[in-house]
Amino acid sequence: MSATTYGWLVLLFPLLGMLTIAFGYKAFPGRTAGWIGTGAIFLAFLAALGALLEIQSLSPAHRQVTSSLWNYANTVGVNAQLSILVDPLSVFMILIVSGVSTLIHLYSISYMDKDKGFNRYFAYLNFFVFSMLLLVLAGNFLLLIVGWAFVGAASYLLISFWYRRTTATKAGIKAFVINVVGDVGLVLGTYFIFKHTHTLDFLQTFHVAGQVFTHNEADLVAGCILLLVGAFAKSAQIPLHTWLPDAMEGPTPVSALIHAATMVTAGVYLIARMHVLFELAPIAQDVGAVVGAVTLFVAGTIGLVQTDIKRVIAYSTMSQIGYMIMGVSVGAYAAGLFHLMTHAFFKALLFMAAGSIIGAMGGEQSLNRMGGFRKAMPFTFGCFIIGGLALSGIPPFSGFFSKDEILLVTGELGGWHWALYVMGYIGAFLTAVYTFRMIFRAFYGDPVPEAQELEAGHLHHPEHPTNPATGEIEDTDVGFPGPTHAIAERALPMKVAMCILAVGSVGLGLLQIPNVDFVIDDFLRPSFAGSAVYETHTKDGLLAFGLLLGTVLGLAGIALAWRVWVARVGGRLSPAKLQARWHAVYELLAHKWWFDELIDGLIVRPMATAGRFAAGTFERAVVEGGLIDGTVSVVRAGSAAVRAVQSGLVRYYAAALVLGVAAIGFYFLLQS
Amino acid sequence: MTPVLASATLSGPHVDFAGLSPLLALLGGAVVVLLVGLLGSRWVRAQVVPALSLVALGTALGLTIWQWGEEKSILAGALRIDDLSLVLTMILTVGGIATVLLAWRSLAAREAAHGEFHALLLTSIGGMTLLAAAQNTVMLFVGLELLSIPLYVLCATEMRREHSLESGLKYLIVGSVGSATLLYGLALIYGATGATDFTTIASAISTKGLSSDVLLLTGIALCLVGLAFKSSVAPFHQWTPDVYEGAPTPVTAFMAVATKVAALGVFLRFFDVALVEAQSSWGPAVATLAALTIIVGNVGALGQSSLKRMLAYSSVAQAGYMLAGVVVSTQLGVRATVFYLAIYLFMNMAAFAVIIARERQAGLGDNVQSVAGLGRSDPWLAWPLTLSMLSLAGIPATAGFIGKFYLIDAAVAGGYTWLGVVIVIGSMISLGYYLPVIATMWMADAPAPLPALAGGSPELDEDLSSPSVKGVQPEVLLVAVLAGAATLFFGIVPQPLFDLVHGVGSGFGLF
Repeated sequence: MSATTYGWLVLLFPLLGMLTIAFGYKAFPGRTAGWIGTGAIFLAFLAALGALLEIQSLSPAHRQVTSSLWNYANTVGVNAQLSILVDPLSVFMILIVSGVSTLIHLYSISYMDKDKGFNRYFAYLNFFVFSMLLLVLAGNFLLLIVGWAFVGAASYLLISFWYRRTTATKAGIKAFVINVVGDVGLVLGTYFIFKHTHTLDFLQTFHVAGQVFTHNEADLVAGCILLLVGAFAKSAQIPLHTWLPDAMEGPTPVSALIHAATMVTAGVYLIARMHVLFELAPIAQDVGAVVGAVTLFVAGTIGLVQTDIKRVIAYSTMSQIGYMIMGVSVGAYAAGLFHLMTHAFFKALLFMAAGSIIGAMGGEQSLNRMGGFRKAMPFTFGCFIIGGLALSGIPPFSGFFSKDEILLVTGELGGWHWALYVMGYIGAFLTAVYTFRMIFRAFYGDPVPEAQELEAGHLHHPEHPTNPATGEIEDTDVGFPGPTHAIAERALPMKVAMCILAVGSVGLGLLQIPNVDFVIDDFLRPSFAGSAVYETHTKDGLLAFGLLLGTVLGLAGIALAWRVWVARVGGRLSPAKLQARWHAVYELLAHKWWFDELIDGLIVRPMATAGRFAAGTFERAVVEGGLIDGTVSVVRAGSAAVRAVQSGLVRYYAAALVLGVAAIGFYFLLQS
Repeated sequence: MTPVLASATLSGPHVDFAGLSPLLALLGGAVVVLLVGLLGSRWVRAQVVPALSLVALGTALGLTIWQWGEEKSILAGALRIDDLSLVLTMILTVGGIATVLLAWRSLAAREAAHGEFHALLLTSIGGMTLLAAAQNTVMLFVGLELLSIPLYVLCATEMRREHSLESGLKYLIVGSVGSATLLYGLALIYGATGATDFTTIASAISTKGLSSDVLLLTGIALCLVGLAFKSSVAPFHQWTPDVYEGAPTPVTAFMAVATKVAALGVFLRFFDVALVEAQSSWGPAVATLAALTIIVGNVGALGQSSLKRMLAYSSVAQAGYMLAGVVVSTQLGVRATVFYLAIYLFMNMAAFAVIIARERQAGLGDNVQSVAGLGRSDPWLAWPLTLSMLSLAGIPATAGFIGKFYLIDAAVAGGYTWLGVVIVIGSMISLGYYLPVIATMWMADAPAPLPALAGGSPELDEDLSSPSVKGVQPEVLLVAVLAGAATLFFGIVPQPLFDLVHGVGSGFGLF
């Protein structure tokens, strides 16, 4: 089979899985739907492997293959095809998406076991994976937009999965609205580009881009910045990031899947895919790099003070995506995508481990309530440590190599890019601090009652389940989490999934060790064949300095976290004293730099006020009174008139006929 | 006998039987069906006759496909075999097949002794294919009468129902006036140009500079009125709701689809070939009629409780949309019109099939209440009707959206932007009567079964009002599901239809 056939299969399996579960949900007993969903994604992963083998058997110059299933419409100047593009970049993405998704599906089988919406959950999850695969396989802008919007819709469904929780439905709406802002950006950006290239196809667009666009041409810059708006909204970059922490309202495996491993990487993929256009518009590249750097720094600082364990990881995701956006914006495509891959592994692992500890806490997510779980949950602890070390960039874990490569390329550009370089390393230090703050607070210290109960062999089970965000009492029927929780120590599927991810988190960095091997670079090269900046010469001095600096900062961060949160012997560095001393800074961070309030004050409130004003005046008088009532009465009067002449009597019809003939005859006589 | 006549040798035109074969299959089928219908066995009449009609229609469809790609004038230039006539013949035969399936167990066919019903149906389709291919005014008129006269009778086939008879009589009177007007117009055009052949008329208009000739223009005016009658264009549409409502529902379905195809087809060929040189004179008039038709049709359909009456007004409005493709006289316009005709077949057949199924099941006639609660009780019927309504309203992902988009594109490209705007406004109004049907189906509860009425003739009750079948008849369900599926399919994958209609305007010498 050809690579594109495998590409179509990659799309087919999740679609079939979704349809099977969605239409047959009544027939599936127990965990069947979960296994069907997992199997569908696993088959997609196998097909992705097939595509990988096929594409590698082609000569490097011919590794970009397109296939069109049918023309949606080829008329009036638009050729809209249902076409996919299989090349190293898309194969790289489908491997990550389908691979990590398979493990998350597997984990979900146990984690969602007793949830009353089990089958619905897997139908949504399959739909999400299908949408994401469609997004990365799309061979033209039209299909990209379709996949892009589907992903937004799927994330809305999954964030609001526990739909009887007001907090969850609100978070879903927030995510959807911000994603739609991004969709609008993407569509408008596409329009700006289509206006000049007259084609929707990616390869043709890239082919003609150099001829129809001049360097930094206004329309191209506008188009690329609008594409960036789309990327920022999907990838939770400032200022369109506020949905991501709230999206933690969804079930934890959902957070692992769509808010760590796949959906938020769509923006990174988009910039990498459009690199031909971005290289022609360096202004847009600079915008992307600066926003990425600012995001990685701001998110890192917020992560320091969050108390909800999932939100800490969510801010860390934002921060890490910031690295990737910065990387692909400065031309470090392979490095950015390499970090995307390693991040998918260790972040999914961290979320899964967090899910396990939330299960042990009976649904409670606050770090303030956790502590001393080290002995009770050794496996989860081990996974947290591995994921944490990879995230903090400690050698030889995977995050070490990928993060430093991004910063290395940034540093080599020189000039004002040094500022980004410095911010990146400050971010690395913050990452180590907040990651290990989280780990130390959850696993060290005196065991909390839940941990003691678990050590005694019994999984804690709250008498009255509550919403961890508000403390409201809930039941366990459909629309709320199920009656029992699962922990990795006691559920084999969860354990297997986490083991595989842990191995990946440790070992994947070895794919690309500076000056040793270049697997990712070599594999992705055909997709970036036309790029001027793909091949860069490494300054060995800077390389060694960066690697050393990264290691030192990571270790220093961990040491600081240890000092503050474990060895807190009432010294100058206890959390309470720090909080009192840096009160203003703490307030800033605890309120997440007031971004929610800023958006609320700048956009939501003025809009709402204007809307209320317009509703009271313009809407009531002009729209409802004039346009609607007026139109309705005109139409109604017309309807009455038509029915009045429709008397059923042929003689009146004859009269109408004579009048009609007379009128038309008169008109034609005037023409002569 | 005078010597001159005796010595004259009369040579008929060369007959190209291949080009004529679809028509021959239809008319031959009509004769066979009529004769078989005379046989005594009830089973033969009720089952073999419709089966034979299907064979005739299938043969005609097959022969049309066999002729695909031909470009020729046959019978001394009287008929034109090209993409336009072949595509229209395909639409007509498919519509005919659907009609036969819908009428298989209908009261109308039974009352008309099957043989007559199907023979009339086949003859009418024959007239329509003739009309679609007509290339001179004589053939045009012959085709028009051949299609109309059987229809007058078909409308009245439910002989014991007053409305059916009224419908047939009304259609006869109004239709005859229309035919007469058209004939008068054709005569005047002949008087002005001295030709009956379309292409000769066109060249006469341009060479003799007749485009502002009184005789010609009066002729055009009368022809326009005559054809407007047939395609129910306002203000000559008034027969439509009465006739559609009164006629047996399978006949209504046939009229709604096939008559419109034939009438619009002849509109295209007559106005865009024969009279294209006078386009600047008739263009604004036809555009005005189109706009009026769209408004009147959509406004009239609001608040109708009878589904057939609602669809009658809707078909008036749809005729207005399609006239937009005629007005512009461009290749794009011709293609858009034919594309719309093709999908119009599916949308309407789906709707009428569901109405027929509910008429036979629910005992509420064609009242909108007959589909209440259908979404829960019978989704296989509810979905086709939903898709049909959405498509008629032009909602994306249905064929109707693409068709309307195509027509609007043609109108704008042809310099009639305002007509495109009218189409959009019409579509907006149309949601006001399409969506309530969907709402009734999915959101209302099924009405409680009516108590049996006392009195009246028992056999009449049995025949006319009480539900005669429990389940849905499979052939009706088949039509509903296939037509509904096609409505959805061509909304997602319109390219096959685009390819089909690609060449329909090629023989026209238009841009």
